[in-house]
Amino acid sequence: MEKVLLKNIENPNSADIAEYMSVGGYQSLGKALGRNPKDIIDEVKKAGLRGRGGAGFPVAMKWTFASGDPKTPKYLLCNADEGEPGTFKDRPILEKNPHMLIEGMAISGYALGAEYGYIYLRGEYPAAKHILEKAIKQAYDKGFLGDNILSKGVKFHLAVHQGAGAYICGEETALIESLEGDKGQPRIKPPFPVNVGVFAKPTVVNNVETLANLPYLIEIGGETYSKIGSPDCPGPKIYCVSGHVEKPGVYELPMGTNLKDIIYTHCGGIKGGKKLKAVIPGGISTPVLPPDKIDCQMDFVNMPKHGSMLGSGAVIVMDESVCLVKVCYRALKFFEHESCGKCTPCREGTGWLRSILGRIEAGQGQEGDVDLLLSVAGNMIGKTFCPLGDGAASVVQNFIKHFRPEFEEHIRAKACMAQG
Amino acid sequence: MDIKDIMFSQAAIKEIEEIRAKYPTARAALLPALYVAQREFGWLSPEAYEAVSEILGVPKAIARGVGTFYAMYKNRPMGRNVVQLCTNVSCMILGAERLVDFLKNKYGLEPGGTTPDNRFSLVIMECIGACGTAPAMLINDDFYENLTEKYIDEILEKYR
Amino acid sequence: MITVNINGKEIKLEKAVTVLEAARSAGIKIPTLCWHEQLEKYGGCRLCLVEVEKMPRLQTACTLMVTDGMAVRTETEAIADVRRGILEFLLINHPLDCPYCDKAGECELQDLVEKYGPTTGRFKEKKRRVTENLQDPVIVRNMERCVMCTRCVRMCEGVQGASAIGVIDRGGHSHIEPFSGNRYNCEYCGNCVSVCPVGAIMSRLHRHSYRPWQVKENIETVCPYCAVGCTVIAQVRDDVIKRVVPRIGSPVNNGMLCSRGRFGYEFVGDPERLTSPMVRKNGVLEETTWEEAIGLVAKKLAEIKDRNGGDAIAGIASPRCTNEDNYVFQKFMRAVIGTNNIDSTARMGYAGAQAFIENIFGQGATGNIISGLSNSDTVLVAGGDPTTINPILGLQIRACSRKGGNVLTIGHVRGLRNFSPVELTPGGGRETALLERIVSELVSRKGLPGSNTILESRIKTVVDAAGAGKADVSEKDYPDFIGKLTASGTPAVVIGKDLLQSAGSGYKLFLLCAINYLINGRLYLLSDHANEQGMLDMGCAPDLLPGYRPVGYAEFRKRYENAWKTKISERPGLNIFEMIEAAGKGDLKAMYVMGENTVFNLPDGANVEASMRKLEFLVVQDLFLTETARLADVVLPALGWGEKDGTFTNMERRIQRVRKTVNRAGMEDWRIIAEISKNMSFGMNYAGSEAVFEEITKISPLHRDLTYDEIAAGNVIYPYKGEPLRGAVGEIPLNKPETASDGKITLGIDRVLFHSGTLSRKSPALVKMYSESVARMDPGTAGALSLKDGDMVRISSKSHSIELRLSVDGEVEPSVVLVPNIFEGKGALSLAGNILDPVLKAPAVCATEVTVESVGKVSS
Ligand SMILES: Cc1cc2nc3c(=O)[nH]c(=O)nc-3n(C[C@H](O)[C@H](O)[C@H](O)COP(=O)(O)O)c2cc1C
Ligand code: SF4
Ligand code: FES
Repeated sequence: MEKVLLKNIENPNSADIAEYMSVGGYQSLGKALGRNPKDIIDEVKKAGLRGRGGAGFPVAMKWTFASGDPKTPKYLLCNADEGEPGTFKDRPILEKNPHMLIEGMAISGYALGAEYGYIYLRGEYPAAKHILEKAIKQAYDKGFLGDNILSKGVKFHLAVHQGAGAYICGEETALIESLEGDKGQPRIKPPFPVNVGVFAKPTVVNNVETLANLPYLIEIGGETYSKIGSPDCPGPKIYCVSGHVEKPGVYELPMGTNLKDIIYTHCGGIKGGKKLKAVIPGGISTPVLPPDKIDCQMDFVNMPKHGSMLGSGAVIVMDESVCLVKVCYRALKFFEHESCGKCTPCREGTGWLRSILGRIEAGQGQEGDVDLLLSVAGNMIGKTFCPLGDGAASVVQNFIKHFRPEFEEHIRAKACMAQG
Repeated sequence: MDIKDIMFSQAAIKEIEEIRAKYPTARAALLPALYVAQREFGWLSPEAYEAVSEILGVPKAIARGVGTFYAMYKNRPMGRNVVQLCTNVSCMILGAERLVDFLKNKYGLEPGGTTPDNRFSLVIMECIGACGTAPAMLINDDFYENLTEKYIDEILEKYR
Repeated sequence: MITVNINGKEIKLEKAVTVLEAARSAGIKIPTLCWHEQLEKYGGCRLCLVEVEKMPRLQTACTLMVTDGMAVRTETEAIADVRRGILEFLLINHPLDCPYCDKAGECELQDLVEKYGPTTGRFKEKKRRVTENLQDPVIVRNMERCVMCTRCVRMCEGVQGASAIGVIDRGGHSHIEPFSGNRYNCEYCGNCVSVCPVGAIMSRLHRHSYRPWQVKENIETVCPYCAVGCTVIAQVRDDVIKRVVPRIGSPVNNGMLCSRGRFGYEFVGDPERLTSPMVRKNGVLEETTWEEAIGLVAKKLAEIKDRNGGDAIAGIASPRCTNEDNYVFQKFMRAVIGTNNIDSTARMGYAGAQAFIENIFGQGATGNIISGLSNSDTVLVAGGDPTTINPILGLQIRACSRKGGNVLTIGHVRGLRNFSPVELTPGGGRETALLERIVSELVSRKGLPGSNTILESRIKTVVDAAGAGKADVSEKDYPDFIGKLTASGTPAVVIGKDLLQSAGSGYKLFLLCAINYLINGRLYLLSDHANEQGMLDMGCAPDLLPGYRPVGYAEFRKRYENAWKTKISERPGLNIFEMIEAAGKGDLKAMYVMGENTVFNLPDGANVEASMRKLEFLVVQDLFLTETARLADVVLPALGWGEKDGTFTNMERRIQRVRKTVNRAGMEDWRIIAEISKNMSFGMNYAGSEAVFEEITKISPLHRDLTYDEIAAGNVIYPYKGEPLRGAVGEIPLNKPETASDGKITLGIDRVLFHSGTLSRKSPALVKMYSESVARMDPGTAGALSLKDGDMVRISSKSHSIELRLSVDGEVEPSVVLVPNIFEGKGALSLAGNILDPVLKAPAVCATEVTVESVGKVSS
């Protein structure tokens, strides 16, 4: 399959507007502005485009809600917070193909009647900030952004807002809080952002990759687009693979590519010919899979059937040398660090889980600690304010579900067997 | 004399006022304004918070609450160069912890610490989105990937 | 109509509310911790999780809105397990020091653990330790007890609007502290104390001195400080007020208090309180019996009345005393002494301003509901900081801003700084020019409404004569200001005392009235005394009888004469300044001062003192041996606030019950006076304060038919059943002042949030918050005089000089030195001159020229 989202990225100047336009860039915007906004939404609906931020929410549905709310102005926010550990799929778009994102945002802005857009960019991507700001300026100069886009009387303004290091700001309501100058703590829903979002106005939040799909979608039409990859969630998808594979990196493949193929065909198999021990398929919050469970289609519909989730499509591959207690401990350290502190079970539970795992990892585990972990995780799951706390608890549950003997061995032997 | 005039250059005040104009509320300019303050002083001192608070009309306790929520704002003085090393899972399984030990043993750089000559501070990071080229780090605003001990030596050489 | 089913019970609701509210309305209690009825929904603690049919996850009752047909279970075994789990999370870091904790007995966490049962100690790690913080004068923080419900922070930011505390850091490290990390340095409203569910933030005043269940009495009364008239509950044990708390749902303050109201009650038990009458013998005041003291007062007053006539005697009433006290006092002066020489410190601005405004707009024009301010789309503030003078009223202005309303200020208003004010700070003598310009501009933009012809003719004079449009006002925010003012639909105008005490105050007040008329606003006149309004209502003015009936009209007098069964003099009496002058000249022979510290609270105290010393006979009735009491021939100790029953009338004209909270030997002010009256053969036999009030309701048209019971039931605002307020518009006197000369330094009164003066300086908690008077001056002015922050300075006027520490402060206007009027020997008013505004008859305190010089560094 030809590359769509990662098109032209080998070109060292791919971020420049001239290069982007030389390969057909911004033509879809012109095309879109020639149609009425509702048509664009219909096209996206026909395409069956689902959000790439992790939850796989149908894009057209979200847009319809927001465009139907009479309040103005409306806002379009691009979620470029990419904080899920293992994930680095948006970064190449932001750094190499910023105009594809900008064009996608201008199209969506037009479709849903939003006049203002912000790219909420994680603080850890300083290079991307400069690249985006430069690209935005170029787009303004060429009339792709501004008060009168392509002289069609369409208004859309765009700016970058830099986050400052908080994973929770990837959650859309926390992102909105953060954009408003507050702590990134999730808001009560309802009201949903599509009705009461940033500055209390209707707001659509979409992931970078989602928005970057739009120029292509408009170019080939919804009908054709819907034929790519999985029928239930079509389109190209960027998988980002890290850990113990021969060729880690980003792979743009049709949605629904088999996980095993990704690891063994595209990434060249396990590094150094070692034995595979575990795979986290969609970023650290998604349930870990043992080697015998990785023959599955990587999309939003099929992964849950195999006991995991597509998440951000961030595949972390671990070979036999890895201590899974340690990985689990490190994951919980992450969640403890990133818990926003708003709700009791997550604020207190992540730290408690981390400390139990810490003592097991350090060879000071006690009889009953595994059950204690499950009990504490059970007291969190389903009781937290937002999915972050659930994610933390489910990581513990799933590591124990598939690898309980390793945890118990760790406690008994007071040392790590994997690492000797 | 207002604290903002003591703390900030007129250029920085102007920069914050320009940022302010990009948003419908003053409060929304808080995060970028704190970045400006941090760039000006290296860290967010109580006076820096007061100055930002004064320019934007955001209460200082709120500014400090926000500034301490986010990991990338520094609430204590930092060395001239901030080494931000990722140790999250993908980096960890590819040896990030060894690199932490290396920085400690060779440079006396502890996580959260600063070298006595104030040249480096070390901050342990969560995922910085370079997992495919792990282990990775940022020094100030620059990415470095596929790190090894030897490579780190070379990189640190460049920062004075 | 929405029907929901909670635990099998059908509940019908008019409108959608949260599941929690629906349950509460049906008497079903769902446990909560982060929820608080004064605060916005939060959903953080997760204790209120409930099962909702057709919803896969548990839902928080405090955030979920009911929908028709919803079925909810709140107390299943599974839910109890969940709550136990949440409580376990809360307890892993909570110290179990309940036996030592003052909160025990009213701790929400304790109660919940008691209900759902403890968990076994599965947490093996070390608990978080935080040492108790005692840096603050009135608030103690024990943050290891904190459960991160963030109620305090949401109260501080979202309701009080002080934003002094915040959540610092995040996740498991998050903790709550003030900006400094140490002392709060805040408004010390203590509303964070009110909402803390555990023992993390508590008042220091009653620390370890009682347990909540030992409180024998909760007595509802009204705060003694300002004219907002907040409801307070005094919690008493062994005849000592242990604590003062607000009540959610009370009319004016609805669960909020300010620093004075919450922490300023300790004067009640102060050891320096007068307990015994004193009589001057051989030049010294000596304690004596009531009998002797009362007999002496009666005898001397009768003697002087016989010899020099009633008009040789004058009385000063008190804006801190009850309506009953003031009523009996003026009746005594009029009926027994036979003079209209009765006045008060309301003459310092409030009385004149109120009369002036009512003359234009009709009676009751300033009696607007305080809470209504928050629903205004625009609030214009002039002449002082409402958040310090009338703090709870100030909160309503903050709320207005928070709801998206416009706050417009003339002059810099510190307490509204973070509420996006549009500020015009003309400074110096240019305030008048600015106001004239606003009036002209409003006339040209909106035209004249045509409803008040007298007022309009005066407005025209100003617009034509002043050439006001050309006034030199080059303010960059002016267009925004005038635009918002013009566009406002439900505006309010708030007027503070600073304006009433400035040069040309009458003219400025006229201009504000004109603005108010042109924008069709509501007026609020700030007042810093709890019963200033009520005292005036009671007829404590030289020209007005109770209920504002002019003393000069025979028909009116008749009614009172019939009621009192005596003649009333038709001659208006002396006002307070004329009294002092007459005393100085020897024309006035005797004075009776009830609950007022004239030497301290009138301009040029040295002159007041000298004049009063010339009196043949001075009676001072007070709680403390004040500067004024020390001059007296007879000192009569009265029962004070908290020790007696009665009523106060706040600035809204809301009449409220003030109640006895502790038992003290002694007599109320009115009773002392009644006793003296009896000794002077004029029977005043009231069984109690209620009987006095009954007489008031018979005589004052404003209070007709009112009873204590009705007052206690709440929401009594006059006119109650009496005649509607209104009144013909009289002539409107105008007196345009000369523009003040620039370059001189003038005095300003610093209104300190934590103080009121005589009462507050006897309240240790308030003194700890602000213990030393400090002069404030802007950096430019200080620099020009080579003065530095922290210098000891001597401030001198024509009449007096005082020494204070200087604080250089960017928020003060140039060429002004601000001095508070709180502590003995350091009062701002001692410096002030006695030039009265020709219209308002209020002294132009703020026009006093002073010099400021350094007398060296402070040693301490
Ligand atoms: C804890 C948490 C973290 C998230 N992080 C991200 C993120 O980094 N990037 C992202 O696009 N979406 C993230 N999401 C999902 C967003 O809330 C939101 O669903 C998404 O941005 C919507 O965009 P989409 O519809 O285009 O997928 C996160 C959600 C949660 C609960
Ligand atoms: S689960 Fe709770 S504490 Fe955790 S991030 Fe979400 S809201 Fe914050
Ligand atoms: S885990 Fe280190 S960069 Fe992602």
